[in-house]
Amino acid sequence: MGEITLYHWEPNANSGKPMLALEEKGVAYASHYINMLQFDQHQPEYLAVNPQGTIPAMTHGDLVLTESTAIMEYVDEAFDGPALMPADPQDRWRVRWWMKFMDQWLGPSFSMIGWCTFIGPSLASKTEEEREAMLARIPLPERRVAWRKAMFAEFSEAELAESRRRISKGVELLEEELGKRPFVASNAYSLADINIFNSTYMLPVGNADICSPELTPNIWRWLREVYQRPAVQRTWAKGTGRFTDRFTAVMRDFA
Amino acid sequence: MSEAILYHGEPNGPSLSVLAALEESGLDIECRAIDLAAGERHGLPGVTDSMAMDYAVEGEGPVLVIDGEAMSEAVFIAQYFDEAAGGCGLQPADPYARWQMLMWCRQATERLSPAAAYLGLHASTAGDAPLDTMASEDLRERWTDWQQRRFDEAKLADSRAKVAQFAQRIEDQLDDGREWLMGSFSIADLETFAWIRSMRHLEAEAFSGKGALDAWMGRVESRPSVQAALARSTTGEPERAFAPGPEINRWG
Repeated sequence: MGEITLYHWEPNANSGKPMLALEEKGVAYASHYINMLQFDQHQPEYLAVNPQGTIPAMTHGDLVLTESTAIMEYVDEAFDGPALMPADPQDRWRVRWWMKFMDQWLGPSFSMIGWCTFIGPSLASKTEEEREAMLARIPLPERRVAWRKAMFAEFSEAELAESRRRISKGVELLEEELGKRPFVASNAYSLADINIFNSTYMLPVGNADICSPELTPNIWRWLREVYQRPAVQRTWAKGTGRFTDRFTAVMRDFA
Repeated sequence: MSEAILYHGEPNGPSLSVLAALEESGLDIECRAIDLAAGERHGLPGVTDSMAMDYAVEGEGPVLVIDGEAMSEAVFIAQYFDEAAGGCGLQPADPYARWQMLMWCRQATERLSPAAAYLGLHASTAGDAPLDTMASEDLRERWTDWQQRRFDEAKLADSRAKVAQFAQRIEDQLDDGREWLMGSFSIADLETFAWIRSMRHLEAEAFSGKGALDAWMGRVESRPSVQAALARSTTGEPERAFAPGPEINRWG
């Protein structure tokens, strides 16, 4: 059916989701690294693949797929390998519910804090003209607004407080969920675990006020188990810099 | 199947799409009408796991209760019906066609439905719902805004633009003469129709001169499943029934 190419940044959040799903399925793919902090995703070469300029994207033969969660669902259905969706319809519903909750409610709060504390400052060395030129190349107006806020540190205190509230509430709900069953949404490891792990694997670092072995024993048990998975270790070994460093540091504690 | 009850509001938005999907599936599930605008969704009997009801991204949509677990999000409930029925044709079997359908539904739930819900609240009188029964702080805030009639002009303008863009998107999608949005009939037709139907009277100009959109709306509306869903209306004007929906994107 043709070659598979994944256009991705680091194994983290949206880019990490299809990377890990492909790894769990045992599907070989050509990796095309997009340096998000250099704005590779808004360069003509990439816009020719995905005119929206969002990452990740995957090509499979002539087909082009975007949106990390939807790509994962495609990967699970289109390729052989272990099933990453449960068979029971109610479990399948629950997997989808958790992925939407992360993608649209909890995830944007994680990323607002991440952009504010890491991505924005990492672009601070660029001049205002350089930053404006980078913004001007972004195809989607919504993404332009989001990047502007990150680049020029325009997040309001109220917005950041709301994101922190959601993170703390979301962690509480995840803890409750993982008290009901061994994995997120079902009794077996699924796309929901891949999705949620990509946004929560760093919780053990610097979040002791909301996530710790004492406060959130179920999340801790689940993280430890997912960290040990061979596909997870292979995926994070493909990363560079702080993402893999952070993973390795937590892994040492769990070992 | 075990004990299952579908609690739904007036057949508009997510309640309309889910009621029609249930009809399409042929599953025998009891339907009970509740008043979403009175906050009745927050005190359903027999719910032992309320997480998905309390924190639904969709806001005030229908709730399917199975063995005490409250299930929310219209698109996913429709997928549940399709899969519990062993595949009733609401989702394409081909993985890529399925990806296309899911991407369409995401566009509808992330762009069209927040906009339509916001304009709908603006055009309707707030229900006198007791806010202390609602677990989600941000949903409570959308209720308060509605009850105190706090509407943001920029969000209203953005919502009108999004409804018009979506009407155009549907017209363009149907441009090749296809009968249904994804080629064959699917959840995408139900979800899109259910949200855009009420915009025909609120945002009439977004529909003018769009013959393919108009004909498609007629085809969806005349499906027996949609007729059966609309017949559940107790007010006779389901397109005027609103309750707080999904929030408008906080950023990016």
